[in-house]
This record gives sequence, structure tokens and C-alpha cells, in this order.
Amino acid sequence: MAWEREANDGGEFQSPALERLVRGLSRLPGLGRKSATRIALHLVARESPADELLGAIGAARAQVTNCGNCGAITEADPCRICTSERRDQTLLCVVASPVDVLPFEKAGFYRGRYFVLGGLLSPLDGVRADDLPFDRLLARVERDQVAELIIALDASVEGETTALYVQRLLQGRHLQLTRLATGIPVGGALAYTDEVTLQRAYQFRRGF
Amino acid sequence: MRIVTARLSGFRNLSEAALAFSPGVNLVQGRNGEGKTNLLEALNWLALGRSHRGSRNEDLIAFDRDELHVALELEEDAGARLACEFGLDRSGGRRLRIDGEAVRRRTDLVGRLATVFFDPDSIRLVQGGPERRRQFADQGMAEIDPAYLAHLTAFQRALKQKTGLLRDLRRGAVNGAQARRELAAWNAELAHHAAPVSLGRAEYAALLTPFADRIHRDLAGTDQPLVFTYRPRLESVARAVSSGGDAGVENRSGNHALEQDVSAEMDYIVGSEIQRGRPLTGPQLDDFEVRLGGPDGLDLRTFGSRGETRSAAIALILARSDALDRRRGVRPVLFLDDIFSELDRERTRRLQEMASRLHQVFIATARPGDIADWRPEGLKAWRVEAGRITDIPADGGAD
Ligand SMILES: Nc1ncnc2c1ncn2[C@@H]1O[C@H](COP(=O)(O)OP(=O)(O)O)[C@@H](O)[C@H]1O
Ligand SMILES: [Mg+2]
Ligand SMILES: [Zn+2]
Repeated sequence: MAWEREANDGGEFQSPALERLVRGLSRLPGLGRKSATRIALHLVARESPADELLGAIGAARAQVTNCGNCGAITEADPCRICTSERRDQTLLCVVASPVDVLPFEKAGFYRGRYFVLGGLLSPLDGVRADDLPFDRLLARVERDQVAELIIALDASVEGETTALYVQRLLQGRHLQLTRLATGIPVGGALAYTDEVTLQRAYQFRRGF
Repeated sequence: MRIVTARLSGFRNLSEAALAFSPGVNLVQGRNGEGKTNLLEALNWLALGRSHRGSRNEDLIAFDRDELHVALELEEDAGARLACEFGLDRSGGRRLRIDGEAVRRRTDLVGRLATVFFDPDSIRLVQGGPERRRQFADQGMAEIDPAYLAHLTAFQRALKQKTGLLRDLRRGAVNGAQARRELAAWNAELAHHAAPVSLGRAEYAALLTPFADRIHRDLAGTDQPLVFTYRPRLESVARAVSSGGDAGVENRSGNHALEQDVSAEMDYIVGSEIQRGRPLTGPQLDDFEVRLGGPDGLDLRTFGSRGETRSAAIALILARSDALDRRRGVRPVLFLDDIFSELDRERTRRLQEMASRLHQVFIATARPGDIADWRPEGLKAWRVEAGRITDIPADGGAD
């Protein structure tokens, strides 16, 4: 069984260049030093996909941008979701980051539009209300005559507080404010549900 | 819950050892500095996932070793056996196993062993500052109700955030309306967790008091009732608690009326908070009273004699075991480290009597006289000398 260790920084390679590559890669999200090393060795091997990758990275960086209207990742600005006639503009889903749009779009059930906040309130990380685009959110609500605003933020202290802030921001306006429910994941075994999730699911139990 | 066997290696000054314990009383003898507390510390580590005396994990590794390893076989109250292991190394590595399988998350293993630990420092539960009492109640409530722990953790996180915000506001220019809205959002989130935390603390004090009183009467041979009373800082909480009603788990979270009152109470003083640059109310300022002679009796926090304080602390800590049994049907393993040296003869005798009736208990003492002539059923005795643990045969006497 492997010991959990802090990455050691004594270079085990006979190449400082390789060491630099490994360090760079291990800073990417989800990559530990071990997988970074595997990838680095793969990239410097003779049949390496590195050139192709470099090209793809360059192109993506040049073409991908955030939608000026909703903040989603897109090549066209405004994005397809914002321009589509079939999407209901009075239904607005507020998410923290552009990646949070992806699961909704993949599931395909959602017919409304999005607003990406780009972060959550967190004074400890230097994120205050002026650092998030709440003005633009308000303008958007007015312009599109939003009828329902769905808050889909993390169930963390920062996510909840940001939701509470939005709630206060919109107080007194004629729109329905809702948030995602929490509960037992579909296909998840009850026996392995953590106690807190279970208690919430119990609290918000519903009739048949 | 019992510890059936233990294997130790590389733990502080203790030699490699494989030990099979008594399901009842286990007595650990040895002069000061020989390693008695180290043994108890090794056995208790899994309960908290850290040393009970607050040592860093690295300091637990024997000076001349690079890693330590402890394996315990536990028996749950229903009779199921569970093999738990932990290993720590000098580079911060940690491995945890249950029944031979590696577990990633610390929380999967920590807490599987329920214990109650008493040592001479525990007297500060009564005499020390309020933080000790809050921690005591929080730990007790958390082992009864995991949702309590979740609320407490979230509360502490939100409090740090709000403190950070107030610090910012004091330093920088303030956009008044927005700052207030921002603070109101943090207050609402805080209240969402502060309400269940407060009700949980009230519930725990009420749950604990009769058990503690009972133990205290037996131990101190007194008729004076011992009470452990919750003293919340928030007035809205104080009102809710005194207006009574058994909150119960279901009502503790999701008590919207109380959440709103708490949040309003916090909003009300926001001006002074901005001025002072820190939160001025909330459960982080709660305390508990320990009184002898009923709710208006002697406040032991300030007026207790050393003997009274000691007995009250022992009673409260032992009561945690009864509370856990009552609410979760779990009987924790008890550790009493150097406890007799703190008591007079009569109380020592009474505590010994209680200990023989208790669940599994580990008692460490440096004074053989304290335990002379004490032969509870199923007793096992161990001697620790310079880290070497040997068992003292049943008829070998405690010399
Ligand atoms: N990491 C360590 N490695 C080796 N010895 C240690 C370590 N930590 C503490 N000790 C030794 O353990 C002894 C104290 O043991 P302890 O269990 O506290 O004694 P007591 O029997 O009085 O309870 C001291 O001699 C101390 O030097
Ligand atoms: Mg000791
Ligand atoms: Zn868009």
C-alpha cells in the first residue's frame, strides 16, 4: 500500500529540463507528481504527441473566450445559449464558474439561460461583493425580465452565503427565486449516503 | 466497545509490543517518565486522529525511528471485531487501514473507536477558560450527532470569513450599503449554523447533567446536586433555550424562527462590529456553568476548591460515556491517566469501585499504594519500565 506523501522536491531525474516539465504539469488541476511524471515521460518520448498538443493549446487559447453576456466558455460572443431562440430568457440559472454550465448542458433538460458569477464571496481569499458582477446580474434580470432565478452554487459556506447575498440583492423584485435541492444521489445506495446529506434529504422529504 | 489487542512499534519510547487486554480493568504501573501515558496515547490516537495531549504526529515517532505503527483489534458492543491500523512517518505520510483495507479519508477511521480520556489536566474543564468547556460539549455532541459536527465546522468557517470581512472593512474605505448587505449575508449563513450549534449545546448540557450528578454523588459522597448549564452569548438563543421544549435532532437544524432571530441579533450590532473590526456575539463566546448545590449553587469555575473542582471534572467527563451510551448505544473505552494521585483516599476508593463497574478501563498510576489491595474481577496489570511493557501476573502483587 502506498504512503501518502507530500511531493518531494529533490529531482530524481538526470535532467533539470524534465524536472521543470514535471513540476509544471503537476501544477495542473487533478495531477499529482506521479501522474505528472508519467505524462512528462510520454511527452518527451520519440513518438510524442507534444507538437500537436502545442498547436491545439495555442489555437484554443486564441479562440476560446467567455461570453460577454453570460460568462460561459465559447468561441462566439455572445454564445449560442444566449442567442438561441429556443432558450427561455426569463429563466436564469446563476452558477459560480464556467465549468458549472457543462453538467447542465450535458444533461440537456435545462431550457433557460445562465449567468456565471466567476467566483463566490470569500473575504479570506480576497473576494468581496465588489469583486463579483452583481451589477451585471441585476441589469440582466431587468433587461430579460427574468421570471425565475435559479441559484446553483456549491453547498459550501461560501456558496450558501453568495446565494443569501443574491437573495438580499433581489429582495422586493417580482421574480421567483429558487435553489437546487440536495439529497440522495440517484442510483446512490442509501447505506453509503453521508449522515448530513441523509438528514437534509429527510428534512425535505416529500409526499407521494 | 473494547480494545481486545494492540500491536505497537516505533511509538515514542515504547518497545515493540503485542498486548492482549482485559475487557474490564487494565492497570498500567510504572514510575514517572517510563512510558505509561505514551501507551494510553497510542491506544487513544484513533479516537481523535491525533494525540490527546496535542502533540504533533511527528513527535509520536520514536526518536531513533522513521515511522510508527499501531494496530488495534476492536470489539464493538454487538460483538463484531474490527482490525484498525494506523502508521505515521516523518515526511507527514499517514496510512490508515480497516480490516486490512486501506482507507483514504481520515474520517472513515477516526471516531470508529469511542473513548473518554481523563488526566490531571482535565481539571481545567472546570477551572479553565470557556473554550475548554465549549470543546468538551462540542466533542460530546458531535459523537452523538454527525450533523452537529457539520454545522459546527461550517459555523467556524463562516465565522472566519466574517472576521476577515470585518478586518477588511475596518482597514479600507467602506461602501456602506453594500458592506451591510454583505455582512447580512454572512450573518444569515452564520445564523443557519449557529442556531443548531446552540441548540445542540443546550441539549448536551441537559443530557449530561443527570449522569454527571449521579457519578458526582457516588464519587464525592455528597447530596449537593451538580449542574452543568449552558450559558449562550446570544440573547435570542438564551430566550429560546429558557422557553424550554426539548429541541430534539429534527428541530435543531431547520429551526427557521430561531435562525431569523439570531441573524437579526447579529445584524443589530453590525455597526459596532465594523467599528471594532471583529464579531462581537455568537456561539464562539458561549460558556457553560458548573455549579454545586443546584442551579443557584456554588460556581465551581471560580469558587471551587481543588478537590471539588477535581470531582466535578471527573464526573462530567465520565458522564460523556453515559450520554454516548444513552443516545447511540455505544460504550466508550475509558482512560484514567494519573487520576488517583489527584484524589484523597476515600475518593480514590470510590472511584475504584466505580471503575470496576465501568466498561473497559485503562488506569495508569505511578503510585502502587493507590491500588494496593484492589483486585477487581478480570483485572490485568502491566508494568512499564523505560518503555518496556510486561504483564504482572494476577497473583504477582502490585509492588
Ligand atoms: N518520540 C519519542 N521517542 C522516544 N522517547 C520519547 C518520545 N517522546 C517522549 N519520549 C519519552 O517518553 C517518556 C515519557 O513517557 P510518559 O508516557 O509521558 O511517562 P509516564 O510514565 O510518566 O506517563 C520520556 O522519557 C520521554 O523522553
Ligand atoms: Mg504520565
Ligand atoms: Zn452566453
